[in-house]
Amino acid sequence: MLAYGGGDAGAFETLYARHRGGLFRFVLRAVRDRGVAEELFQEVWVRVIEARERYAPKARFTTWLYTIAHNLLVDHWRKKGLSLVALDDDDVASESANPARQAEAREALARLVHALESLPAAQREAFLLHQEADLSVAEIAAVTGAGEEAAKSRLRYAMAKLKAAVDDG
Amino acid sequence: MADDDDISRRYRELPREEPPRHLDDAILAAARRAVHTRPAPLVVPSGRQRWYFPLAAAAIIVLAVAVTVHVERERPSEEFVSTPSAPAAAAPAAPAVEPSAREMTRNETAAQPEKPKPERRRKAESDDSRQLRDQAAVAPPPELQKAPEPAPPPAVPPPAPTQDAVGSIAQSSGMIAERTQAPTPAPAPAPAPRAKPGERVKAATSAERRLDEGARAASSLSAFALQSPEQWLQGIADLRKQGRHEEADRELAEFRKRHPDYRIPPTMRERVERR
Repeated sequence: MLAYGGGDAGAFETLYARHRGGLFRFVLRAVRDRGVAEELFQEVWVRVIEARERYAPKARFTTWLYTIAHNLLVDHWRKKGLSLVALDDDDVASESANPARQAEAREALARLVHALESLPAAQREAFLLHQEADLSVAEIAAVTGAGEEAAKSRLRYAMAKLKAAVDDG
Repeated sequence: MADDDDISRRYRELPREEPPRHLDDAILAAARRAVHTRPAPLVVPSGRQRWYFPLAAAAIIVLAVAVTVHVERERPSEEFVSTPSAPAAAAPAAPAVEPSAREMTRNETAAQPEKPKPERRRKAESDDSRQLRDQAAVAPPPELQKAPEPAPPPAVPPPAPTQDAVGSIAQSSGMIAERTQAPTPAPAPAPAPRAKPGERVKAATSAERRLDEGARAASSLSAFALQSPEQWLQGIADLRKQGRHEEADRELAEFRKRHPDYRIPPTMRERVERR
């Protein structure tokens, strides 16, 4: 990122190639709407580009990148009248999962997807940050602005629920 | 932990959605555009800032020159006030002559319609002063102290040793000898060589005139003030010895004015104070 801030456009391409898939899936599985996910995904990268001169490496670039994504998700939820924290302990009924995909996927994975989509938003976000960005509990806490204990608890609950969903089959 | 790994493994088996190609292209293009549009200067230049730096630099230069000139002009007066504590041999006469030359140069510049540039004048002045200092170092101090008598030269003939000293200098430099001879016989003949224009270049004439006047000024009693206190007192004692009490009183008063904290040794006090 520092190289890109210094004018090296190639450095940005490297960064983008490294994080595009994980970030896109993180956003997509958080909002469960491809159109919105693409919009948010693009907005994340626009903010990265805009912040190239101000960027100071206080933490891993990944942590910084996903913090931007988290903030955009919070704005998104807020616009929809929802809150990540408020959804922390409430199970949300799954929106209509894609039946075609469920049919194609193996049954276990279908259950996993279903369980993932059924997770409270905060737990799902913690799980996705852990899986897609390979963030530690401390880093998840830093990205989401929660305490480490809260982040650890969310991740543990998410894992437990997903395990239960997979095992149910 | 094993459960977590199992969930992670199963999660990775899910379809790996990727952003669409057109999104990639748009983002990468935006990134390249952002880099190539502007070099992102630390300080964005505005209309006001464009002339700010040259103006500031010019102001600093003007200020520096003004301060330098001011300091240069102030320096002679500092020399005049400070009493040098130089070695007894060369120091006594040297400062007595140099400031006088400077002073005379100032008077001369006021009188001369066509004056040289300050740098040249200062240089010539320092050269003249150096020559006078050398000359004074050769001449014995008592004679120099006698020489500055302000009384008309015909009444008090100049002491012979000065002539000798001048003669010895004249061997090495005829020009210096000519200069130093001027004050000794009488002030009146001194301007005579000046009346011959064309003998020398203008600068040489000017320097010579300055030296004449400087040497004459050195013959005034106030030249004692430029000596060390001890030498000044010695000069006053000599005046007493010669019976020139009024001059001695005047010099003593001047001495006390210049050196209010100087404690005159009892033996010297007996010699300088009127009994």
